Amino acid sequence: MSFWRQSLKLANRLISHNSKSIFHATNSRNFHRWVSPTLRELSRRRKIVGPDPEKPRSTYLEWNYDVEIHCFGKRVGENFDEKVLREAFIQREWANLQEFKGKAEDESFIPPQHNYELVQEGFKLIKDHIQDIYSKTYTIDIVNAVCDYLTTDEMLAHVAKYLGVKDLIKSVEFPPSTKTLADTFKAIVGALSYSADPERVKLFVNDFVVCQMNGKDVYDIWTPDNPYDYLLKLLQEKGITNVEPRLCNQSATNTILANYQVGLYNSEDKSCLGLGWGENIQIAKNSAALDAIQRIYN
Amino acid sequence: MSNSHLFLKPAFITTPGQNGVGRYVCQLQRVVLKFCKSHGASRGMREFIESDLINFVKNSPEVAVYLKPRRHRSPIIKAEYLNGETQWINASNFTQEEVLKWLFLVKSQASNRTGIRLRKLLHTDHPSIQGPWTPYLFRDPKLNLTTFPNEELSQADVQDETATVKLLKLFQLQKIEDLNEKRAE
Amino acid sequence: MSVLKRVQQWATFARVWHIYDATWQNPFASAELIKKYLMGLYKPIYHPMNDCGDHVIVINSAEIALPGDEWTKRVYFHHTGYPGGATWTLAWELHTKDPKMILYKAVYRGMKGNLQRRHTMQRLHIFPDANVPAHLLGNVSNQIKQLRPIPKRLDHMDPEVVKNSPKIFDYPKDYIVR
Repeated sequence: MSFWRQSLKLANRLISHNSKSIFHATNSRNFHRWVSPTLRELSRRRKIVGPDPEKPRSTYLEWNYDVEIHCFGKRVGENFDEKVLREAFIQREWANLQEFKGKAEDESFIPPQHNYELVQEGFKLIKDHIQDIYSKTYTIDIVNAVCDYLTTDEMLAHVAKYLGVKDLIKSVEFPPSTKTLADTFKAIVGALSYSADPERVKLFVNDFVVCQMNGKDVYDIWTPDNPYDYLLKLLQEKGITNVEPRLCNQSATNTILANYQVGLYNSEDKSCLGLGWGENIQIAKNSAALDAIQRIYN
Repeated sequence: MSNSHLFLKPAFITTPGQNGVGRYVCQLQRVVLKFCKSHGASRGMREFIESDLINFVKNSPEVAVYLKPRRHRSPIIKAEYLNGETQWINASNFTQEEVLKWLFLVKSQASNRTGIRLRKLLHTDHPSIQGPWTPYLFRDPKLNLTTFPNEELSQADVQDETATVKLLKLFQLQKIEDLNEKRAE
Repeated sequence: MSVLKRVQQWATFARVWHIYDATWQNPFASAELIKKYLMGLYKPIYHPMNDCGDHVIVINSAEIALPGDEWTKRVYFHHTGYPGGATWTLAWELHTKDPKMILYKAVYRGMKGNLQRRHTMQRLHIFPDANVPAHLLGNVSNQIKQLRPIPKRLDHMDPEVVKNSPKIFDYPKDYIVR
């Protein structure tokens, strides 16, 4: 058809049809122009407000406290007396709060039993066991240092966390504080003492608390004030009286990176008691003494 | 050469809280099986729940298993570990065996390991038995008594005999022969 | 961190000072030897990111021996960057100007041209003769063996020993030694 006829047809169509139906919006499969700014604004507001607070697991739909308690017992590998175990997870503040709320509604409300006594008993059991084990080979100051280190709140809370205790605790605050976690662990030990014989309690403390010393150096936890004098005392008990410190090697002595190697020798049979290094001779002598102390206890 | 390591987070092998040293504690706390009662993708999950789930629960009493039927949603395995991490596995169109295998995997793990590469496949608290190397390990103690620079220590190692030494030896031999001849006379 | 662990690391990464006598040695062969100590390559703890290099004091660098006719033929090129700034310096000319330069350049060029090179070269201390400051000499705890044996000079020997040694031939009696 000729050019003029085509254009006349088009003009007709334009005039007769509604303008809406001719200018269809073409289907767009791209991101809409308002998506990016919306997401940007949302993330800006989230950054200002901060993340949502953590919700306790018990607020979820899929939660069964009885099943969780049963699983806890199996996970730890012990047969607990269920009633005592449930008490071990109840903190005193929470029990008091429940009592307050219950008494307000109904005078004859029986408050839940809390874990205060269990905590005390459990703590004593843990400390006694640790001291029993270590007193067999080590002196009193080392035993005390190790006991203090293993029974700090942070250590016991760390152990408790990996037993899955966080969701089972009934406490006022969430997430439960370090002290609460540590107390719960002690209470569990106390509950175990009511549920099983003392041997099992000792094994439990062994497997969870004492094994935290695996791979740890004693000197991470405790150092004697005067290592050399401490060593001399220890050696006197063994019968070694003549100890000779000798400078074995040195390098770069006039620089700040000087290194001295000092060895401690038994004068009688010329055997080496310990070797140590240091930036100056005094430090090297002290570290040689520490090395010698370690060798005695091996 | 693969580039999958580039966007993976690097991590070392660790056991949480010295797990195997005392007694072994299964690090999987609970598993939530979410499925649809009618959709086809949940079929494997439904079959698993009907047949193998009881055995699994009997064999792992330390894991709390929850079932959550949800309409018009794909089947999910959500695993929660003792360290607080969760692993979310889409179980769409899984077979019954696949669901069981994923559950075994999740039970043996201690944390969610997707997106993480292990830098070393081993860990040791005592990397050295005889003690780490020091520059003094094979050092001759006589070096402590020398003043530097020392001529003897500086001398190069001579492998072959020099011509001078050979000559001197020949000369000595000649002297000895002369002596012997004189004695023979 | 316990005292023992800290002190163990201090000992493992302790810096050792070596001394090397460059009398009558080939500087290019010596450079290969010295760079091993400077970089710490002889140590089992070696890693380029480890900072385990040692110090080396080189004495008598004025007495080095270049092989063959390198004294007259080896040329050190330098360009200042400005037009007409190219200089070609023969080895013997450079040596008279600064007796440390040949050995310094030999070690520098023997190393790989990475960013650690300049830092490692700072641990090399070259002296043209045997006069080393006392505070540096006090650090030294090891002597590096030379590569080539130095022959004894006839005029430095004991005259008694010379008289009793065998002679293969001798100058004629009326020979005048120039």
